[in-house]
Amino acid sequence: MSRGRWSQVRRSGIYLLGSLVSGIVTVLALPLLCAPRFALLWADRHRDRAGRLLGTPPASRTDPTTRRALLWLPVNAVTGMALGLLALLCVGNVVVATIATPLWWAFTFEERPRLFIDIAVTGWTTALTLGPLQIVLLAALTFLGFPPIARAHARICLVVLSHSTAGELAERVAVLTRTRADVLDAHGAELRRIERDLHDGTQARLVSIAMRLAVARQVLSDDPRDEQFLGELLRDAHEGTEEAMTELRDVIRSVYPPILADRGLDGALTAVTTRCGVPTRLDIGDLGRVPAAVEAVVYFAVAESLTNAARHSGATTAGARVSRTADRLSVVVTDNGIGGADQRRGTGLAGIRRRVLALDGTITIDSPPGGPTTITMELPCGL
Amino acid sequence: MRVVIAEDNVLLSTGLELLLGRYDCQVAAVVDNAADFLTAVRDHQPDVTIVDVRLPPSFRDEGIRAALRARREHPGLPILVLSQYVEQQYAAELLATTGGGIGYLLKDRVSRVEEFVDALHRVAAGGTAMDAEVIAQLVQRAGDPIATLTAREREVLALMAQGHDNTTIGHRLHITDNAVHKHIGNIFAKLGLAITDSGHRRVLAVLTHLNAAGTSP
Repeated sequence: MSRGRWSQVRRSGIYLLGSLVSGIVTVLALPLLCAPRFALLWADRHRDRAGRLLGTPPASRTDPTTRRALLWLPVNAVTGMALGLLALLCVGNVVVATIATPLWWAFTFEERPRLFIDIAVTGWTTALTLGPLQIVLLAALTFLGFPPIARAHARICLVVLSHSTAGELAERVAVLTRTRADVLDAHGAELRRIERDLHDGTQARLVSIAMRLAVARQVLSDDPRDEQFLGELLRDAHEGTEEAMTELRDVIRSVYPPILADRGLDGALTAVTTRCGVPTRLDIGDLGRVPAAVEAVVYFAVAESLTNAARHSGATTAGARVSRTADRLSVVVTDNGIGGADQRRGTGLAGIRRRVLALDGTITIDSPPGGPTTITMELPCGL
Repeated sequence: MRVVIAEDNVLLSTGLELLLGRYDCQVAAVVDNAADFLTAVRDHQPDVTIVDVRLPPSFRDEGIRAALRARREHPGLPILVLSQYVEQQYAAELLATTGGGIGYLLKDRVSRVEEFVDALHRVAAGGTAMDAEVIAQLVQRAGDPIATLTAREREVLALMAQGHDNTTIGHRLHITDNAVHKHIGNIFAKLGLAITDSGHRRVLAVLTHLNAAGTSP
């Protein structure tokens, strides 16, 4: 029991001294930490640290928002430094009382050790009475006070970083509003592309076919013996229908791949990896129900990534892994090629990115020169 | 030649009936779903069957599954699968069924009436008719012995994989039978395949090789 308490006291002490250091670092590195990326990393560290002290399971810790991470900076600077300093004083003064007091005579008059902050040790009486008293009092404070103080700081940390409040919801709404606008833009652009493809391609071809057939009918009634002309008209009309069908098939494929409708994501990805130029290992977990829009994006993203791997990377093997955790679908595509994939250069990666972001997903492309390339995507898919 | 057709789109099934009627084919039954197709095959014992990939109720790949099932129940039953799009995966599944003619063509090909009827006869006779687009998907891949083939050898390979015999290949490419024979010898040597003269086995060897090149790790 007392051993457990001591280890608690030790952990709390380390936690509080750590808070002092992090408070000082926060003040010194403030300009750097004001960058949202670093603020979030910094907040993550503190949240995990506080969570470990309080013994909350990692799963129940929510990711801090940028606003909360920035708020944590001043709170941490003040509370961390104040409580950490208190802990340092306790520990420091116990050390002073223990080591310096019996040796009080070895110091010059001006430099005599002081007990209870301002009482100089000038003789054995003070040394032997106030010395042990200070040690006992501070040890008691350490023993009884450290754990609750450390817990209080950890709780403040989690309250600042984790709690859902109006401000946090407002931030989330702002993000969703932006991504929703992107979705609508992307959707609009997609509709315009389909409209243009059908209008300029298939529709125009049907008109030209109809015109040729109309002329052919005219020729049949006026001069049915002009067989050569009739033959030409019918041949052109016939070839026109074949081209129209090919174009229409391409448009359909770009709207929603038929294999996806036939076989679902699992079967469609199997087909993609089978016909990809690079031997590819496919690893699909139990995905449950996935919205059609998400399936389509995953299909396009994997197909496009593997096409890139086969065409540009010189890879000899590739892999695609799709797995589901609660409400998120995670997709990882890797290849052992030369790397250097750049989303600003190729339209393929930019297209994947646009589609993923449009569904409120995230994408990271890790492709250093020399390889390997890893493309990681996360997509929300509801519950 | 007696044909059973499984096609749920009335426009297309009546079109097929009209077309086949002009080429001495007797349409024994037209059905619009997989269950009726299996019954019709049992009742009519057709010389060849034509199956649409998408059939009710879910309009997914019922046609492929019905075709595979019919083939299991009636070994050697010739099947020509028609689809609005071709998928290499389906071609591989159809080719995996042993014995009997197999065809897999885009619906577009029906408009080239004579070629379509020729393909249908080939399938009925136990041969193969693979769509040029399936072959194109297979041959496109890089990093394969196929890369060492000349352009002409590739043309010959594509026609051979579609299921054509040497005479037709020579006719299509305007070259002599002898030249076709030489090209085929080169292709088989480069791909490391044993030469077989039987049309269907030759097609299967080529297609199996092409398929395996894409799937083996």
